[in-house]
Amino acid sequence: MITVTINGKKITLEKQVTVLEAARSAGIKIPTLCHHETLEAFGGCRLCLVEIEKIPKLQTSCTIYITDGMVVHSETERVVNARKAMLEFLLINHPLDCPYCDKAGECDLQDLAAKYGPTTGRFAEGKRTHPESYDDPVIVRNMERCISCTRCVRMCDKVQGASAISMVNRTSKTFVEPFSGKRYDCEYCGNCLSVCPVGAIMSRMYKHKYRPWYIDKNINTICSYCGVGCSVTAQVKGDSLVRVVPEMGKGLNKGLLCVRGRFGYDYVNSSARLKTPLIRRNGELQQVTWSEAFKYAADRLRDIKERYGSEAIAGIAGGRCANEDIYIFQKFIRGVLGSNNIDSIANFSYAPAQRFFERIFGQGVTANSIQGISNSDGIFVVGGDPTSINPILGLQIRAAYQQGIPVITVGDTPGLKRFATCMLKPNPFTETALLVSLLSELKVKKQFLGGNSSFERLINNISALSMKEVEDICGLPTDNIASAVNMLSNMTNPSIVIGKDILQRTDGHINLLLLSAIMYLINGRVYLLSEFPNEQGLVDMGCLPDMLPGGRPIEIESFKKRYEEIVGLNISSTHGLSLSGIIENAYTGKIKAIQIIGENVLSNIPDSNYVGKAFSNLELLIVQDSLMTETAGLAHVVLPSLSWLERKGSYTNLERRMQFMGKAVEGDGLEDWRIISEISKMLSFDMGYKGLEDILSEIARVSPLHKDITYNDISGDECIWPYKGEPLRHGVSLEGMDVPDIGSLLKKPAKDRVYAVFDKELFHPDSLSRKSAAISSISPEPCSRVNRALADRLSVSEGDYLNISTDAGSIEMAVKIDEDIPENVVMIPNNFEGKGIFNIMQWKLNPVLKCPVLDGNEVKLKKAEARS
Amino acid sequence: MTIKGLAKKIFLIEILKGMALTLKMMFTHAVTRQYPEEKREPFPGFRGLHALVRKEDGTARCVGCGLCAAICPSQCIHVYTSEGVSHEKIVDRYEIEVSRCVYCAFCVEACPFRAVVLTDHFEYAAYTRDDLYMGKEKLLSNWDRFMAGKKGNEYFEKFWHPLSSDFSASGNQAIFKKINSEG
Ligand code: SF4
Ligand code: SF4
Ligand code: SF4
Ligand code: SF4
Ligand code: SF4
Ligand code: FES
Repeated sequence: MITVTINGKKITLEKQVTVLEAARSAGIKIPTLCHHETLEAFGGCRLCLVEIEKIPKLQTSCTIYITDGMVVHSETERVVNARKAMLEFLLINHPLDCPYCDKAGECDLQDLAAKYGPTTGRFAEGKRTHPESYDDPVIVRNMERCISCTRCVRMCDKVQGASAISMVNRTSKTFVEPFSGKRYDCEYCGNCLSVCPVGAIMSRMYKHKYRPWYIDKNINTICSYCGVGCSVTAQVKGDSLVRVVPEMGKGLNKGLLCVRGRFGYDYVNSSARLKTPLIRRNGELQQVTWSEAFKYAADRLRDIKERYGSEAIAGIAGGRCANEDIYIFQKFIRGVLGSNNIDSIANFSYAPAQRFFERIFGQGVTANSIQGISNSDGIFVVGGDPTSINPILGLQIRAAYQQGIPVITVGDTPGLKRFATCMLKPNPFTETALLVSLLSELKVKKQFLGGNSSFERLINNISALSMKEVEDICGLPTDNIASAVNMLSNMTNPSIVIGKDILQRTDGHINLLLLSAIMYLINGRVYLLSEFPNEQGLVDMGCLPDMLPGGRPIEIESFKKRYEEIVGLNISSTHGLSLSGIIENAYTGKIKAIQIIGENVLSNIPDSNYVGKAFSNLELLIVQDSLMTETAGLAHVVLPSLSWLERKGSYTNLERRMQFMGKAVEGDGLEDWRIISEISKMLSFDMGYKGLEDILSEIARVSPLHKDITYNDISGDECIWPYKGEPLRHGVSLEGMDVPDIGSLLKKPAKDRVYAVFDKELFHPDSLSRKSAAISSISPEPCSRVNRALADRLSVSEGDYLNISTDAGSIEMAVKIDEDIPENVVMIPNNFEGKGIFNIMQWKLNPVLKCPVLDGNEVKLKKAEARS
Repeated sequence: MTIKGLAKKIFLIEILKGMALTLKMMFTHAVTRQYPEEKREPFPGFRGLHALVRKEDGTARCVGCGLCAAICPSQCIHVYTSEGVSHEKIVDRYEIEVSRCVYCAFCVEACPFRAVVLTDHFEYAAYTRDDLYMGKEKLLSNWDRFMAGKKGNEYFEKFWHPLSSDFSASGNQAIFKKINSEG
């Protein structure tokens, strides 16, 4: 116990903290400029000076630690005069163009100058000048205003880990500049601009449009880009959106954001927004009224159901729809249309992986807190780059590394290049062999815990691969593997971060089994990277062909009965078709009608040509979306739904945390659930919902997982697993999990072939961000990555275009050279219309996981003709 | 009641006194003004209809800092700004709901650029509220009509606070740089 007296107030604290923290814990305000809660102390601005008895000189309270019996005064005349002097120094070179500066009103320097500052300066030397830099599309720098607090640099180095900016020059000529020169070449997280206390680094998105006192409403909501679910605040003036910003310290992201959350929100005002319902007439989409559209959709659905039966109808739900929407959607498809053919993109990797783990370890095994990553004692990353798929989760890994926690990565994880203790880069598609060898070494080093005997027996039966064999297959040096094994065996509560690349393999199920075994052996917590903000919601709300809400298998009769009773509808007990099955059956003509909500299926699943053909065979394609997408372009009925920020609802993130998203502005269109219930009414089933509350209370009755849940719970601080609900308890079922035949893994990929690998990139993970003008200005076109040796062989250099072709088609794409990828792969993103890997990729299904297999896609490369 | 009081009541003394006064006033000059035939010069600094100051080059002096809108106690000033082609700040709209103004002139005092004034014009009654919702053009024309020329400058010399002399700065100090506060 340490007791200090600050301004006469006795404060007793357990830990030794800084004087500043001690004062703040007691509600005593000490001004600061260079200090920031998320950053380590710097002690540069000297605004936080305090007088401490028995220490003759004033001390910076942000760096000095409390000792027992310390007596501190924070507002004596001496202190106030010192602060005034510090401010006078800061203002020597400060332009003081507050009326013009966008920071005014929320500027720390302005506030402090108003409180302590001198009204006139005594320095007649004149001010430095430095032209404002508009070289970057989204960030503007005005270095005349910089006070050299280094908050931005510390943020970029220590928290974001991008190390993209630095202080340059000395003395009064110091300023901040990106290493890349004028334009940034970084991750564009914008966290530097949110910590800048003055208007030196600012976002251009609201340049000259903003004053804090113009804001009428602050609406809390959740970023709509990925499965992390960062908290953001939408600020509204009148009826228009001014900006979307994080609030420091708030949410699971604690005020940090990635580029998508910070700059990507402007898709809401994109010109591609749908405004009125459309119906295809004479081959063209024509504007109609809502009632016409409802009637048309309902009539066509009824007609198809009568002529071909319910089985000819299917539904596809999107990962950006709210829980309320997708619950209603599956109820409509299952109950009203009578078909279990409902699925979503979650079933392409996230759901199968989760189900696999839950079968062994029980429901909820993947529901782990993201903050927990930096508290674990080791991190194992496999199957994707967290810093581009789930950037804020990725930051946790970087933070952990900087605290000295070992990080092991497998595969291409460029964002963790400087944050990995051990990087394992096996030859393409040979991770399975690597995992086998890790497991066999770990079996020797680690004891079984004895909790799960049948699983232990299974693990024991997995035969070993020697490091030598693995060295040969994977092309990894033995000591590289040995050091990974060493680290893994020393971990006691590690985090295992799994991306979907490892599943979407011919051996995807074996990979999962091996990962489960490793996880069991080292007592790991598993995190599944998730690309959509409500991917988990799709699983929990029953948007899967064989699962009802609450993650209950459709064959559990008692549960199905209860569901039927509550909603007053009958549900078929046969499994429906999965997403791939739906597409295939549409292609062969067995599926006649598909309803899609909020998903650009044509772009987001592989082999667009095939999907396009399948859709054009349909008699009816209904698309509900807020944006005109490629998929909507093929539809017979397009129903504009309200976009994020225009509606309320809830999302469930990858930690299974439920979060509330608020409504900030009005928009054209209707909520998805409202559209569905209108169509349902026309099909003579009135769902009778008046608002979201009715839907949630029904969910709370139907889904045992969400028992008794209310919006109070969801919008409160923490609505985390298992809520107040009842997770499904069932015994371990290892049925169908066979001991893999290790012999089959001894194949080596052919060296002389080039394979296409799906590149999940940071700026444009899927087809949404291209509708954001800001993100498109940062990254205007897709780019493939190849190794230098390959580039030389093809005689292409950076900036040239590459023609990439397969049997399914060909695309042209700019090329970037990346030394860190193997020579026989080309990394291709999938984000721009008609120019993505899915345009040229064929696939088959993994027989066990039922997710697509994307490995072994051989491509032919050649340099494209010169472009203008 | 005293005898005196009773007598007062009976002989209607108070009434008679009043009538005497009325009679006397009939022979004096009237103090009321015959508005609107007869108009009175407002005193200097009278706070009447709003105007936005027009610079010599014909544009508004306002830079859109929004301080007037921030201070306005009845929140009846609305400023909408945006970024121009050469990144300058453009005042797209500047609107005052005159019917809600309480004529405190805080806006005038808050403005760092002497860009908004309350003129001495007070005759602007209208039939609808919309007529009293004034946009930028209307407010600029108010300046032309009521304050242009020497009058405006005199007004600022006398009534604008803080006075420009309070902003003394050394030679090239960039106070309110890029902004021409003279004009
Ligand atoms: S940074 Fe702050 S003090 Fe400096 S001009 Fe902008 S608002 Fe004024
Ligand atoms: S740019 Fe901002 S955060 Fe960075 S050093 Fe300057 S004042 Fe500090
Ligand atoms: S990490 Fe995900 S949720 Fe968070 S800001 Fe980035 S895209 Fe949005
Ligand atoms: S005079 Fe006062 S009430 Fe009227 S507009 Fe100005 S600040 Fe507002
Ligand atoms: S305070 Fe002056 S310069 Fe600022 S917006 Fe108002 S009128 Fe314009
Ligand atoms: S806040 Fe302590 S020195 Fe800057």
